[in-house]
Amino acid sequence: MKMSTLLRRMRKSPMFMIGVILLIIMILLCATSPLWIQWDVTATDLRSRLGAPDFFANGLSGHPFGADALGRDVLSRLFVGDWTSLKITFAVTIISMIFGSVVGLICGYYGGILDSILMRICDLLTAIPQLMFAICIVAMIGSSMSTLIFTLSATGWVATARLIRAQVLGIKNKEFVSASRVLGTKTSRILWKELFPNTITQLMISASGHFGGTILVETNLSYLGMGVQPPTPSWGNLISDGRDYLASAPWVVIAPGVALAITVLAFNFLGDGIRDVFDPKNVN
Amino acid sequence: MAKKILKRLFLSLFVLLGVTIVAFVMVRLGGGNPASLMAGALATEEEIADMEVRMGLDKPLIVQYFKYLSGVLHGDLGYSWNYQMNVTDLLAVRIPQTLKLCFFGFGWACIFSIILGIIAGIHQGQPIDFVALFIAIAGQSMSIVWISFMLILVFGVTLKVLPTQGIGGIRYMLMPGLCIGFGYAANQTRLMRSGMVDVLREDYVTATRARGVSKNKTYFKYALKNAILPIITNIGSQFGRILVGSTVVENIFNWPGMGQLIVQAINMRDYQLVQSILLVSACMIVFCNLLADIAYTIIDPRITFN
Repeated sequence: MKMSTLLRRMRKSPMFMIGVILLIIMILLCATSPLWIQWDVTATDLRSRLGAPDFFANGLSGHPFGADALGRDVLSRLFVGDWTSLKITFAVTIISMIFGSVVGLICGYYGGILDSILMRICDLLTAIPQLMFAICIVAMIGSSMSTLIFTLSATGWVATARLIRAQVLGIKNKEFVSASRVLGTKTSRILWKELFPNTITQLMISASGHFGGTILVETNLSYLGMGVQPPTPSWGNLISDGRDYLASAPWVVIAPGVALAITVLAFNFLGDGIRDVFDPKNVN
Repeated sequence: MAKKILKRLFLSLFVLLGVTIVAFVMVRLGGGNPASLMAGALATEEEIADMEVRMGLDKPLIVQYFKYLSGVLHGDLGYSWNYQMNVTDLLAVRIPQTLKLCFFGFGWACIFSIILGIIAGIHQGQPIDFVALFIAIAGQSMSIVWISFMLILVFGVTLKVLPTQGIGGIRYMLMPGLCIGFGYAANQTRLMRSGMVDVLREDYVTATRARGVSKNKTYFKYALKNAILPIITNIGSQFGRILVGSTVVENIFNWPGMGQLIVQAINMRDYQLVQSILLVSACMIVFCNLLADIAYTIIDPRITFN
């Protein structure tokens, strides 16, 4: 597909545009948060404990979205915590995608005993609920950002591997692959240059779904006390912290939940958008 | 067909055997000596060593594993030192609670998503379609923890119409059940919608309409049969997701099921209990997947069992 066609389709797909714009805004706000936030996100200030939101009445030096149980600014913690969650999510997604595509390509192309073994491992990993798996690992090794990334990647690659394997199975007997093989191209080159590019669309759709999913899993783990440990803010922590103050200070929970939903929504839109843009049936 | 099902069953057993190994190794990965946790903070070295012998932790790992495995094959899932009772007895009380919640969540989500998906698919591009899509996409984007908190805030704290903790009648089940089904309902609504949209584009639907068959008859007698196929697989394969949801929700709503149990068990290093919960969950998931595959072949003869 030509670049200009691609760009035109991107512009014409509302899903894709909304997704991209939302994500850019979110990532920019998070990445630049050290420049504009006025509050120390870990310092406690008991005078403004559970302070109600003033919705920017005092600009950024007030508490636009209120303060939490220790008097910390919800807005500031939101964007710093968002950054923690996004870093974890990006790391998990990238590791899962790389590992998943390598396994998928190899299984699909070679088949045989290696394929059987790896696919049984996939079956095994899908048979244990991901969250229970994660709880066990985190509880045993101890919770840190790297443990979280390791644990979530350890189960995250399976879906991608299956997807890529199915793609490869569908195309590995096509003429262009056989031709390449007949010409004496090295197998590694066939995998990388002929097969891999044909799986990229699926990979991107899978990646955007994966981003959203990982953010959600991180909240679940945090609620169970197995996420990023306080006082470092992450979305999961922020939401879970508000549990005890639902009646008196609902804003502590509402703001991070909305921010999280917007981000996951953006990733879901992006995934749908990519599907629209690359769909060969889509002629506009 | 029967032969293929048998082969598939054999593979499932193989996977479950793998699960027992993974679960066994996983719970022993990290530190934390369950014997010293059991013996208490003031226990002496001798008391801890004595406790280890009583709990069978002094034997080599491989012996412990085979003892566990032979127990499982005899229907004995081990002994929970923390609860001072057999894991089998403990789970016999907890599993029904989890299943009750899961089926409630599963049930409403299934009915809701299929109906909404069909309506949206038939009215593609119209306002009702956008509303359905919005509900579905928004539902997929919300954290189950957050949804639970919002429901508690609205129905428990503000309106005070539903209890927020524990078990009892159907009223206790409403909020946790709603939360569990939410993500699944959203996902399946989109699947049902796109299935319906695709089928309605098929020539045979146009041909049926051209013959003068009424809209409703075409949609519900001819189109729906094909559109609902992906849903069958989805129902089976999403059970794991429901189970994950229930793990979180049980902890939020203090529902005494398996999900709440595993978190407590992990923190107490109650090895045999954790292992068994992992194994039981895996059994449920494998069984559902198997059922979905079989159902799919029966409903759609074009697909061969694989």
